[in-house]
This record gives sequence, structure tokens and C-alpha cells, in this order.
Amino acid sequence: MDPLLLGAIVAIATIIVLFSGVSVAIGLLIVSAGFLLIFDGARSLELIPEILFGKLDNFALLSIPMFIIMGASIASTRAGADLYEALERWLTRVPGGLVISNLGACALFAAMSGSSPATCAAIGKMGIPEMRKRGYPDGVAAGSIAAGGTLGILIPPSVTMIVYGIATETSIGRLFLAGVMPGLMLVGLFMAWSIYSTWRSGDTTVLSAGSYSWAQKFEILPRVLPFLLIILGVLYAMYGGIATPSETAAVGALLCMMIAMIIYKLWNPRDLWVVLRDSTRESVMILFIIAAAGVFSYMLSSLFITQAIAEWIGTLEVNRWVLMGAVNVFLLIAGFFLPPVAVILMTAPILLPIITTAGFDPIWFAVVLTINMEIGLISPPVGLNLYVINGIAPDISLKTILTGSLPYVACMVLGIILLCLFPGIATWLPDLVMGSSL
Amino acid sequence: HATELRLSHQWSNNDIRHKVAQIVADEVAAANVDLDIKIFGSQSLFKAREQYKPLSRGQLDMTVLPLSYAGGQQPAYNLTLMPGLVKNHDHAARLSASPFMAALEEKMAQDDVMVLVHGYLAGGFAGKDKCITKPEDVRGLQTRAAGKAFEQMLAGAGASIASMASSEIYNAMQTGVLQAVNTSSSSFVSYRIYEQVKCYTPAGDVALWFMYQPLLMNKSTFDGLTEAQQQALRDGAAKAQAYYLDEAKKEDAASVKAFADAGVEIAQMTPEDFAAWRELAKETSYKAFIADVADGQALLDMALAVD
Amino acid sequence: MSGHSSAAAARTGSNPVLRAVAAISTLAGWVSATMIVAAVLITCQMIVIRYVLNGSTVWQTEAVIYLMIAATLLGLSYVQRLRGHVNVDLIPLSLPPRIRFVLALTTSALTIAIVAVILWYGYEYWHFAWERGWRSDTVWGVKLWIPYLAIPVGFGLLLLQLVADFIALLLGIDKPFGLE
Ligand code: NA
Ligand code: NA
Repeated sequence: MDPLLLGAIVAIATIIVLFSGVSVAIGLLIVSAGFLLIFDGARSLELIPEILFGKLDNFALLSIPMFIIMGASIASTRAGADLYEALERWLTRVPGGLVISNLGACALFAAMSGSSPATCAAIGKMGIPEMRKRGYPDGVAAGSIAAGGTLGILIPPSVTMIVYGIATETSIGRLFLAGVMPGLMLVGLFMAWSIYSTWRSGDTTVLSAGSYSWAQKFEILPRVLPFLLIILGVLYAMYGGIATPSETAAVGALLCMMIAMIIYKLWNPRDLWVVLRDSTRESVMILFIIAAAGVFSYMLSSLFITQAIAEWIGTLEVNRWVLMGAVNVFLLIAGFFLPPVAVILMTAPILLPIITTAGFDPIWFAVVLTINMEIGLISPPVGLNLYVINGIAPDISLKTILTGSLPYVACMVLGIILLCLFPGIATWLPDLVMGSSL
Repeated sequence: HATELRLSHQWSNNDIRHKVAQIVADEVAAANVDLDIKIFGSQSLFKAREQYKPLSRGQLDMTVLPLSYAGGQQPAYNLTLMPGLVKNHDHAARLSASPFMAALEEKMAQDDVMVLVHGYLAGGFAGKDKCITKPEDVRGLQTRAAGKAFEQMLAGAGASIASMASSEIYNAMQTGVLQAVNTSSSSFVSYRIYEQVKCYTPAGDVALWFMYQPLLMNKSTFDGLTEAQQQALRDGAAKAQAYYLDEAKKEDAASVKAFADAGVEIAQMTPEDFAAWRELAKETSYKAFIADVADGQALLDMALAVD
Repeated sequence: MSGHSSAAAARTGSNPVLRAVAAISTLAGWVSATMIVAAVLITCQMIVIRYVLNGSTVWQTEAVIYLMIAATLLGLSYVQRLRGHVNVDLIPLSLPPRIRFVLALTTSALTIAIVAVILWYGYEYWHFAWERGWRSDTVWGVKLWIPYLAIPVGFGLLLLQLVADFIALLLGIDKPFGLE
């Protein structure tokens, strides 16, 4: 059979199986096993355990649970609230100050957590009830946190960047740096929109929290110190010659656990277990998808589908920006239905040759891809951040969250357009720190 | 309907080892014997170190790989990446045709594996702050070595061994996590190590680091082919092997040029340096090998006997 | 952090068998979490040995990798019990109860089938490595049957939890896809 036709059949089968409600990792395994059985024979099934094990046999994957633990241990303390309160005391005069504080807290927290759901949970637990109490509409409260939380995978450290780095053999240190400026840009866009929309609603006085004295403003600053120490410590370990990025993750995890235990008195074994349980759950879920996606990509490659698609795209004579537009639409659609890690692993082997052949920088593309994945995190039916918001505020309807996050999705799309116009936003910092790109 | 063979390897399309596989595939196709070799490069089918197991179980037909990757399954293979055992490329070619290699091929046959194309590639050392030519040079340096036997020898010289994936070497050299690295000429170039080091010691008239990287085939699969198909494979393999030897020599020169162009100092290992390393290796990696492998001493003697 | 899906953790009711399986999965979850913590500590130890003491770090990378793999595979059943394996529940949500029930039975049966296949070949692979005395190709030279053991054990525990979930579904103790 023509590999391209076969590829289309595989795509349809995958969609049907994943929509049946089976878990994503198992679904990938079912589809892979089915096609291998038909086209490669029963003996090819022998290879599945070997491939699963082989995909996990990679030191860099260690950093996934580590960066998740960093976020989860801090999220279980008052630290998120402190951070958020400090920002709020300093930002009360700005229209929509509370939203701005939440977005800023999300961005800072993202610099400590590799995972978006963890970022969303850490800030949202405090931020959403507070915003609602002060009279912000439910949509604004939930939408801004849902969107702000997605920064977790753009601002380093980032689980998706690690997975992309492994899948495409690009430097993880460089990828992390590439996310910094675009992350700041998105925070800026999010904040600008919040200020504008609050100002336009004309409700600024109602929404303002009143004023804080300078004493109150300075008094809270020391409580933000642990955050800064962790962020600086991790950055120093990573770029100062102490450890490789994957190793640094373990340092960060240990630091965060220690700070949570010593400064925030997280002694109770029950509370500690909650941190470990949540981290284990998210890590195992992601790592199982990584392993299963490995079997899926083995199947695609074994049936020559990956190679045929790459060849076919190579023969298409389209403008490179049309191509990039098509890739973005494809990623957006994939992101609606699948968690980021699954999208990256299933598409990177096919997309990367296409991207590099068309003359795009793989580091820059990682950022574009990540922003697409951020949109996916807050879009149904599979949006990890939506589940988190639903857990914090079960009474806010999905429709309200979605309407509230829509303007932020628009900001992200604008961000992608800006990145296409000015690729330097992503590539400038890594080039500055690590020399011109590989 | 033509018989299809699947060949897996870990390298990119412009790597010498891909070209070796491509020559065999092209020759077999040109022979018109109803045989088609499909190449899966860049680890698109199996990861680099996960190829030998499916090959030996007949789930994969052919592969090009460093045989020492399978040293955990056949400890004798560790002799194919042993310091000081091979002096230069011509010596490597003589080793490939020696009773030593025949003994190794017997081991492979136990795993239902056979060699189609023999070939060795060379490598050298690079230092972040200084040149590495003799054992004293690596004392106290954080070093990443390619291969178990080299780690044992370097540890014996007082180096600290850091293990990490080859894709991490560049960053680790840049930030100073690593101060010395030992790998193949082609890896030095493809990972652009020349941007991060002060001095490079390439494979020259004498070189320490040689790695056996043959094109292997599952034996039962080969035996199941027709006489004409087997002959076509053998003919293609002969042509590829000649090409492999030629290009392997050029590879070292190309790496020297890349480093020199980047302004990196080029150092040479003298015959005395080589002898010092080999003495050290005898006390460390050779010793460990003999202790580990039942017929290790006999195999080592066979290899050392090749002039 | 809150749940990862609109579905609630698997229910056992008062059925002793289901509760026993749940307890086994929870125990596996503890082991998995402990392994992750061990990996954190070993990695930090490695950095200290290398950066502070300038010593050799021969076994740490490998140990950490095997711990992570084991943590993942042993954690599968626990995460299944918590319904932490993310899925697309758009279609199940929109179906009438009877059809949703049939769909849940079908996907559960398929899941059990694929996990059983992996368990079978995983056991074979483990046995092969054990019989042949395979080791890793490093100075440390770990006997590979030890890390490979995580494949049959992990998928065996997952199979157990899946069968328990299937029974809970049949007995009406748990709702299809955990949806209310
Ligand atoms: Na982050
Ligand atoms: Na989504």
C-alpha cells in the first residue's frame, strides 16, 4: 500500500481510538500494535516492551519529574500566596492590578516549575478566590489564571522543551534560554490586555483593593526571597558550570523540597505525601505517554509513513510561510485533543525535517510549537489547565473559563505572529549566552 | 515481489557509515536479484544501543553499529574498542582479516549475527584548557570517554570520569562541567566540539582510539536468501569495504581541518606517548577485560599478534 | 493540585477484592514515589562528587535512569487507580448512559488486551536477558534482568488494577469512565 494512504488510515484510526475515551498512552499502544500486527506480522509485537523500555532509557527524562516536584512542593505551601500578595501590594494603583499581580505571579512561578498545570494550581488556589471576592467577573478570574498558568512550559524550566530537545537532539540549555524573552513578551501582552480591558470597563475604582502603606509594601518583600534564591540557584547551576540542565533539575527539586520543609514548615508526612503523590501522578502520566509515543513512532517509521510524508512535503512547492501557517494550524488542532508531550513526540520526527528544510531555526520553532501547546492546554476537550481550574473553582462553568481565556489565546496567536516577524525574540538570548546556534 | 531487508543505523544521511550502507543497497539493487534494502537512518527505527538485540533475534535484518555497544551481551566485543590495540587504519584493515576477527565472528555466529562489511574509525582527545597527549595530561580532569575500556584506562591515569550522553558534551564543555573528552573524529566535528576547546589531539600516525563499526546482518536471514542474492550482497559489501577504509582515513584529516580552521591548537601523540598509554592500558583495561572474559587472554593475544 | 480529568478516582465500594487490589496499587505508588526521591538524591550526590570533590561518577547516571524507568512502570497501576492517565472524554460525555456503558466495556477490554500482550512479551524479554546473562555495556555493568524486571512487574500490576476496574464497572460499583 502507498505509505501516504496508509498514513491517512493510521491518522483516522488514531483519532477514532483516542476519541473512544481510552487513555492517550494506551490508545497509542493499541493503534501501534494493530498496524504492526497487520503489516509487520505478529512477531513485531515482541518488540513493544523493548521499545517502551528503550524510550525511557534516557537521562534527560529525569528532569521531567524533577521540575514537576519543584512546582508541586512550592505549590503546597503558602509560597504562592506570598508571591501573589507581594505583587498585589505593589500593583494596586494599576487598573486591573489584581489580574496583573496574578499574571506576574504565574510568570515568576513558571520560572520554578516545568509544568503548566502546577503553575496554574499554585497561583490559582489563592488568586481565583481572591479575584472573585473583589468583584472581578468569574471569566476574568479563571481565564487569566488558566492562561497565565500555561507560561509554565514556555518560561524555563520546561517539560515540553526537554521532550522536544530529546526528540530532536537539540540542546536543552539553549531551548530553555530561547523561551525566556517570548515568555516575557507573552506576560507583557497578557498584562497589556488586562489593563486595557479593565480601563475600558471603567470599573477601576471598584476593582482596586485600596492602598497599602510603604511599610506594608516592604514588609512582604523578604517572603519573596526564597523564590528568588531558588531561581538564581538553578540558573547558576545550569549555566555556571556545575551541572548539565537535566542534573540541575534534581538540584532544583531538592532545593524546593527543602525550602518547603524548612521555611514553610511542610513537616507533616501526610502533606509531604500529597506533594509526592501529585508529582508522581503527573510524571508517570507524562512518561508513559513518552514511552507509548515511542512505540507509535516506531510503527510510523517501520511502515515508512514518516519518511514518505517528509519526502512528499519536500516535493511540495509552497511558500515557506504558507508552510509555517499550515504547520501552526495542524499543531493547534492537535493541541486541542492531546497533551503537549504527546503532540511533540508524535509530530516532531515528521515536522522537524520539514521545518529545517524550509530554512527555519529548530530552536525558534520550539518556541512557536510551545506557544501552540499553551493554547492547547486551555482548549477543550483535553486541556490540563482547564481540569486544574475546575478543581479549584468547580462552580465556574467551562464556557465561562473559555470565554475568559479567549482574549489571552488571541494574545498567544499575536505572540506567534510577532515571533514569525521577529525571530530574534527567541534566538537572541541563546545566541548571546551560548554563542551562535549549532 | 522482491524480498525486502531492513537496515537500521544511528547516523545522518551524510555520515560515512550511512554511505557504506547506501553502497551495499545500491549495488544489490543494480544486481537485479529481487532484493531491496530499506535504510532507516538517524535512529528512526531503533535507538543506537537497541539495535543488536533485535538483529540477533531476527527482528531486524541489517545494521551498522559500533560492535562494543553489544559488549554487555558478548563481553569479547569489548576488544573492538580497546586502547592501543590498533595503531592506524592499515593496521585496522589487517586486524579485520586476521584470525582474531575470525574468532570474534564465531562469537557473533552464536547470536545468529554475521559481518558483511568490516571497518574501523579512529578518534582522539580534546582538552578545554590544555593539550592531552600523554597519561599525565588527564590527571584531575573531568573527562568523558567513549567506551568502557577507555574509562578504565583514563581513571587509571587519574582522570575523573563523567558519564553523559554525547549530545550533552557540547554544553558540558562550554560550561566547564567537562574539561576533556575522548571520542571519534566524526563526532568531534558533528557536535562542533572545536568551538569549545583549546587543543585537539587527532588520530595521526599513531592513535589510541579505534572503534570497530561493521555492517552486520542476521545470519539466518542471509542463509535464507538465494545464491544470487547472497552473491550480490557479498559483491556490494566488498565495494563498500574498500570505500569505508579510504573514507575513514579522510575523516581524520577532515576533523583536523575543522579544528584548525576554528583556531584550535593541534597536538600530536608521539610513539613514546602511545607506548605510555599502552602500558597503562595493560594494567587497567586489558587486565579488567581478561578478568571479565573466560577466553579473554587468548583473544587479546590473537589481537596483539597482528602486525 | 486538583485532578487531571473530569473523572474521579476509581471506586472500590466495600468489595474486599477491589479494595485489596487498590491497596496493592497504592503500595506500588509509594514505591514509585520513593524511587523518584532516590533519583533526586543520587543526582545531587553525583554533582557533589564531581563538582566539589572532582571525583569520578561511574554508576550514578545509570542508576538514576533505571530508577526513573522503574518508577514509571511501577507507578502505572497507581496512576490508573487515581485515573491520572489523561484521556479524551468528549465523546463518552455526550453519549446516553447505556451506550456509554458499552463503550466503557469495549475500551476497558481493549486496554486489558494490549496490557496483557505487553506483559507477556515483557516477561519473555526479561527472561531472555536473565537466561543470557546480559549486562549493560558500562564499567558498572549492571545485570540487565534487574532493571528489566520492572517491565513484567509494572505491567502485571497495571493488568491487575485494570481487571479490578473492569469488575467494578460490571458490578456497577464504578461509573463508566468515572463520569457522573
Ligand atoms: Na517553567
Ligand atoms: Na486542548
